[in-house]
Amino acid sequence: MANISTSSLAAFFKRPAAAAVCAFGLLAGPPLWSAAPGFYPDDPIWTDDDRAFDASKVVAIEDTNGYDFVVNTFSDTGERRDVRALNVNTVDEVPDSSWFTNRIGRRDMTVADVVKGPDRVERVSLDGWVVSAGKSTGVQPGFRMTDPGGQLHQIEVDPPPNPELASSAEIIGTAFYHAIGYNTVEVHLADIDRAALVISERATIRDPLNGKRRPLKTLDLDAVFERAARRPDGRYRVLVSRFASGKPLGNFRYYGTRPDDPNDIVLHEHRRELRGARVFGAWLNHDDSRGINSLDMLETSNGRGWIKHYMFDFGSILGSATIFGQRDRAGYEYIFEHRAGWLTLATLGLYVRPWMLVDYPDVPRSVGKFEADAFDPLKWKPEYPNPAFDNMRPDDAFWAARIVARFTDAMIGAVVQKAQYSDPRATQFMTQALITRRDKVLAAWLNQVCPAVDPVLASDGALTFTNAAVTARAATPAESYQLQWFRFDNATATRTPVADGETVSTPTGRAPAGLLNSGEYVGVEVTARHSQYPGWAKPAAFFFRRGPAGWTLVGVERG
Amino acid sequence: MTRRRIEITVMLLMWLAAASVAFPQEPGTRAQADRQRREEKNRNAKPYEPNGFERAMHFVEERGMFIGGREGLYPKLGSLATGSGFAYGAGYRDRDLFDNTGILDVWAATSTRLYWATEARLTFPKLANKRLMVETWAAHRDYPQEDFFGLGPDSARANQTSYAIRSDLFGARAGVRPLPLVMAGGGLEYLNPRLGEGKDSRVPSIGTLFTPSTAPGLGESVDYLRSMAFFEVDYRQPKNPRRGGWYRVDFSRYDDRTTGRYTFNRVDTDLRQFVGFLAGRRVIAARLFVSTSDTGAGQVMPFYAMPTLGGNDSLRGFREYRFRGPHAILTQTEYRYEIWSGLDGALFYDAGKVADARSDLNFKDLESDYGFGFRFNTDNAIVFRVDAGFGSRDGKHLYIVFGGIF
Repeated sequence: MANISTSSLAAFFKRPAAAAVCAFGLLAGPPLWSAAPGFYPDDPIWTDDDRAFDASKVVAIEDTNGYDFVVNTFSDTGERRDVRALNVNTVDEVPDSSWFTNRIGRRDMTVADVVKGPDRVERVSLDGWVVSAGKSTGVQPGFRMTDPGGQLHQIEVDPPPNPELASSAEIIGTAFYHAIGYNTVEVHLADIDRAALVISERATIRDPLNGKRRPLKTLDLDAVFERAARRPDGRYRVLVSRFASGKPLGNFRYYGTRPDDPNDIVLHEHRRELRGARVFGAWLNHDDSRGINSLDMLETSNGRGWIKHYMFDFGSILGSATIFGQRDRAGYEYIFEHRAGWLTLATLGLYVRPWMLVDYPDVPRSVGKFEADAFDPLKWKPEYPNPAFDNMRPDDAFWAARIVARFTDAMIGAVVQKAQYSDPRATQFMTQALITRRDKVLAAWLNQVCPAVDPVLASDGALTFTNAAVTARAATPAESYQLQWFRFDNATATRTPVADGETVSTPTGRAPAGLLNSGEYVGVEVTARHSQYPGWAKPAAFFFRRGPAGWTLVGVERG
Repeated sequence: MTRRRIEITVMLLMWLAAASVAFPQEPGTRAQADRQRREEKNRNAKPYEPNGFERAMHFVEERGMFIGGREGLYPKLGSLATGSGFAYGAGYRDRDLFDNTGILDVWAATSTRLYWATEARLTFPKLANKRLMVETWAAHRDYPQEDFFGLGPDSARANQTSYAIRSDLFGARAGVRPLPLVMAGGGLEYLNPRLGEGKDSRVPSIGTLFTPSTAPGLGESVDYLRSMAFFEVDYRQPKNPRRGGWYRVDFSRYDDRTTGRYTFNRVDTDLRQFVGFLAGRRVIAARLFVSTSDTGAGQVMPFYAMPTLGGNDSLRGFREYRFRGPHAILTQTEYRYEIWSGLDGALFYDAGKVADARSDLNFKDLESDYGFGFRFNTDNAIVFRVDAGFGSRDGKHLYIVFGGIF
């Protein structure tokens, strides 16, 4: 073994070349052979540990309506880049996190599971509850009540011309968004006898006339019920929303990250579940999907604070604009639509915007303004630009559409039943409209990429997969599939094609002889041919890793 | 040779060591990789700091929104009368008097044309389960430069003069709603208008061109007891209407309590209809306004109580108060088109005339104009508008107005 003397080292450091080597080592980065591999041993991960660091010092971000509208309408918020969603795992799925929990997309849910949503109890009784505060935010009239256990709830009423409108939208929206995987607050329907309400001595309200907090008066409740739909029996149907646990931190934004939350490392506009929310928004006409209709709560577990991100306030989805039926424009145009506005101005109003010609059906007023026939998912828009929606790519939309496809007719019908429309025609119409809109969503977004999914590579080299669009009855079977196998070098993340491509007429194939003995990773690139769907020709690549039990899917790249 | 190998080995080791110092250990798993990224952010975490625009919007939406309609002291902004110029002042408002049934509003304001006014008004808008409205008021008006061009349809623009009028007013009225869309009622008001020399330096005062025979009431000080009745149907939807109608008839009897020579009756009929199409984003709005009056034998109607046409809310191709007479008819038609939410464009056509005799109240020989405008609005009101009127014999006129049109 060589012995290196101190004098030798001293001489070594006197050499310019040696000093340069050290400097290069400092500046140039890690050696090439230590570059991040294509796949880590724990890929694909299904849980993103975004509670790892203490976030208890995070300060609230509470955007206002005006600010959110202005910055998103007149500036390019967030990073607009055609890049794959940054929080997907290697199989192109969203791991569970403080934002999203895989529910119907990855596990079987019964109709009852979907209907139950986030509810802890089947129904609530307001016996023994007291009015504990006024409601000073949002347009929907309401107040707050505290149950005998001290839990705070928000109580909201429906507008007199449209009984059951907003509360139904909230019930339906909560159930769907929860089953999809978002965090939602628990909501229930209840009846209130106005005369039986008791106001807590400590109840306060932010005076609607001057913004100052003062004691809550009976007159404040009168003002709420003056704007409430009353049942024939004199009682009021109300929506009861259980306050989420934890400390309120305002809302999240559909762009950027919280600079003081160490766990928030993915730009929100590049989060798959926020990009894909555009698909759910289109299906359910959640045109109010914006930052200020979200909620961040600081929760504590294992001695650390972490932020749980909620979607909430679904009172303005479907045909509801909360205090009246939706506007005709809802879902078709932004509030400030540049081109259409200028055209209208230039033509003195002779330019007719397409949504002005939509023939909304004559339905019970509890439904509001909602329809499915003119609905075009690809053209659907929220109230104003949403940077995550703008960044949605076909693979994001495909991910979301597959979740939508999991909702059966029975589930949709049962969720609508939960809204307890008093008019059966409302239930029937809403159910059918959501089924029709679902089918349109699937047809639009399951066919923009190659819909090959769920590949299985058997030990003997047999490959099977399914076609998500065909399964969802959103397309007829492919005319053919093209399979291109490859070896994958995980260290350098490079593919090497093997043999010529194989054309098959069914979603099956077989790995070329010898490929499966050649390394730890292999893969196959699948494209499909269908005269109606050119997007099927965009390849879907599947990566498999050899394991003790055979080949395991570790990677999916689509589009 | 050995020394050379040693040197190469040392160089490689140093390179590795240097790289290891600069970069943390490579993660072995995805979870470690993510954790490293979070560690890095945790080291650099900093509190969120809103920018100036964000802070400004917070202030406007959480505080500024209350300024205009706030309880207690509030700024009084807008206009006092047609042609008064921009008005500014202060008021005090209390909207939860008498178990939240009463509203007190007291204000004083002046304007860029030196008009000024003050008023105290107590209103009970929703008595008897919203079926009864009662209000009472006391006010003072001081308008120093009201325009007068002479009476009748043939008045000449060249005869523009100005006059000052000030008055105290005390009154009360009540209205009942037999149906939600219908209101009928009546009231009494005492007023003591006093005329003076016009203060508009650009035109002569009224006395230089007109006399009591050409401007009845000029030079007289008369106190009136006005008794009034009204009937109104309002089914506009919404209040900045996309469809529906608003119809109102006002009857007033002005009883001269001083000289006994200026007692008269006046009836104003105002019919407004709104027809929306293309999802209500296009609206045809039409208005017919007819005012007529009568006097008893030996009685005269003072000029300052006569209906007027001209200005931002009637004939927009003419100056304010351009026409004045005991009778008047006005038709207005607008085609309104929504450009963006909150901004409408409009094309309009106005036609009308004043008449010396009721028999002349017809659609012959109407003065007319046309033009275009823009309206910044909400569902319930026009907040601000710009109207440009053309096509009249008085030339072009541009009106910038805080408030709506019919």
